[in-house]
Amino acid sequence: MSWLRNPWGKPRVLAVVTGLYILWSIVPVAIAVLFAFNNGRSRTTWQGFSVRWFTGATGSVFHDPELQGALKHTLILAVICVGLAVPLGVALALGLQRWRGPGGGTINTVMLLPLVTPEIVMGVALLLLFLRVFPNIGLGTPAQAIGQVTFTLSYVVVIVRGRLTSIGREYEEAAADLGAPPRDQLLRVVLPLLAPAIIAGAAVAFALSIDDFVVTQYLSSDASTTTVSMLLYASARGAPTPALNAIATVALLITLATLALAFVVYRRFASGKEAAQVAALEV
Amino acid sequence: MEGEIRLEELTKRFDDVVAVDSIDLDMPPGEFFTMLGPSGCGKTTTLRMIAGFEQPTSGKILLDGTDVARVPPHKRSVNTVFQNYALFPHLDVAANVAFGLKYHRVTKEERRRKVRGILHLVQLDGFEERKPAQLSGGQQQRVALARALVLTPRVLLLDEPLGALDARLRKDLQLELKAIQKDIGITFVFVTHDQEEALTMSDRMAVMNHGHVEQAGSPREVYEEPRTSFVAGFLGVSNLLDAEAAPDSGACSLKIGERTFRAEQGATQTRGAAKAMIRPERIELEPHDAPGDNRLPGLVERAVFLGGSHEVHLRILGGELLRATVANNGRPPGVELREGQAVTLYLPASALRVLEPSQDEPDSAAAAAERPERTAPSM
Repeated sequence: MSWLRNPWGKPRVLAVVTGLYILWSIVPVAIAVLFAFNNGRSRTTWQGFSVRWFTGATGSVFHDPELQGALKHTLILAVICVGLAVPLGVALALGLQRWRGPGGGTINTVMLLPLVTPEIVMGVALLLLFLRVFPNIGLGTPAQAIGQVTFTLSYVVVIVRGRLTSIGREYEEAAADLGAPPRDQLLRVVLPLLAPAIIAGAAVAFALSIDDFVVTQYLSSDASTTTVSMLLYASARGAPTPALNAIATVALLITLATLALAFVVYRRFASGKEAAQVAALEV
Repeated sequence: MEGEIRLEELTKRFDDVVAVDSIDLDMPPGEFFTMLGPSGCGKTTTLRMIAGFEQPTSGKILLDGTDVARVPPHKRSVNTVFQNYALFPHLDVAANVAFGLKYHRVTKEERRRKVRGILHLVQLDGFEERKPAQLSGGQQQRVALARALVLTPRVLLLDEPLGALDARLRKDLQLELKAIQKDIGITFVFVTHDQEEALTMSDRMAVMNHGHVEQAGSPREVYEEPRTSFVAGFLGVSNLLDAEAAPDSGACSLKIGERTFRAEQGATQTRGAAKAMIRPERIELEPHDAPGDNRLPGLVERAVFLGGSHEVHLRILGGELLRATVANNGRPPGVELREGQAVTLYLPASALRVLEPSQDEPDSAAAAAERPERTAPSM
């Protein structure tokens, strides 16, 4: 603990602890990714490098119908989720910013609830909702999409509101002052200024949707509504091949690429502080 | 001539705070009008009501005789230069300036010509394709000005537009703004807390405090003949002394402490408690024990060399501190400005002004804010 006694000393112990933590969190993922490239059927013994589990003729991500179906369904859900959560989230954020009446604080808290509600609770609640209250929607793709929108919406709202707060009302007032009616204030000024937050929000919603297991699992119906995460969970105890590692790797890459894109775009337009907040949300 | 603004009993209440309290103001067409006051005096709120960003609680805003109090901002023929310019960061200079022209039915060619013309007026030729972030503060300020002026508004509103600039640039832009205003003849309504800026630029000005207009008039009038001690204090350093007033053959006899002074300025017909005011540059310093009326002894407490002048702090008999500005004429002043030096202060009758006791002291603003009674509007 030299730095406790010597304020100029290097905090070596802290560096070691940090390094160990990073190793601990990255190594398992790295190993899982590594075995996606194994040339044998084992997920534990290295048998040489190959991409057979990605592109091979049988049982690979790109040729096995089950894996392909799961990947496709995952992406479809993600696109629907983003398509619904982003416009709704932007509208809500704009509405909340303008709301100057009683109940504003309550609405704010309610908006943040999904961020702290245990997902299993939300999953069960939504399941009951679709079974009892909206049996005509029932389980399946629409229910899964609505379920995902329910909790990703909050993230979009938080990100967009952060940006709205930091840009303030002055630009809108300037637009109005120069003769722009409310519609043009929104289209010509507010939305372009919100673009980085909208892109970041979309990326976060996309990543959350791809990663989600609990809600998506609860609201699924038959095999056609299986997503990558559900598939991984279901076959982990069967006779899995490295193809599972391969599909997980694909999902991981999509998520990482989306988040990296969002971060870069956001960083490009917004202040470093805001970007860091968004980065924190993404983790 | 277009561009006259008249405010009639204009009031703005935010919950239970009265930001603007039933003010009446006349802003003549084609003039440079300044609202001056400390922060929280209601000047910006008044400006925002004229622009249309705030709805008045009551009262009228007459623009060339038509009440526009309920007209939304995008339909008012007034434009604003914002304190932080509010240039659209995603648009380049040309697009910023052309923003409002979209609502003015001009052809593409005309639009381009107008943008070029106005950028020339504010000396930003060739800056069309820069983004606001690539401009200096002064350049941004000019773009903001161009963006508003290109629409040829009847009235241009300016909300402390020079506040964010450094002192040197401020001075240049003050003169430039004034020149542009004279040149194009549009009414300018300017908001500032800087009394020097107000005095330099305005044709007419209103000094505001706690949501009221304390005094309105030409800069000279307001500076030379302040009606209240707040105005006197806010417009540069003034010396204020408690006094007993009694009218005396056209002038006023002021009893300050044990001495009696003759004062020829201000409310000379006042009787009873009053304030005596004299500006630092009008106090004359003479050697100790110099004879004559309107004189009193004092001690130099501090003398600060300011380059063009000396600022001298003088302690007089009653214990009050007076400030005198002694011009630096290239020769030493008639008396030595040493700490502890005894001198005689001459307060010429022609410079000594009688003020009715003011309701609002500038240095007790917080206490005054809680006082329920209001100053009578001095218009």
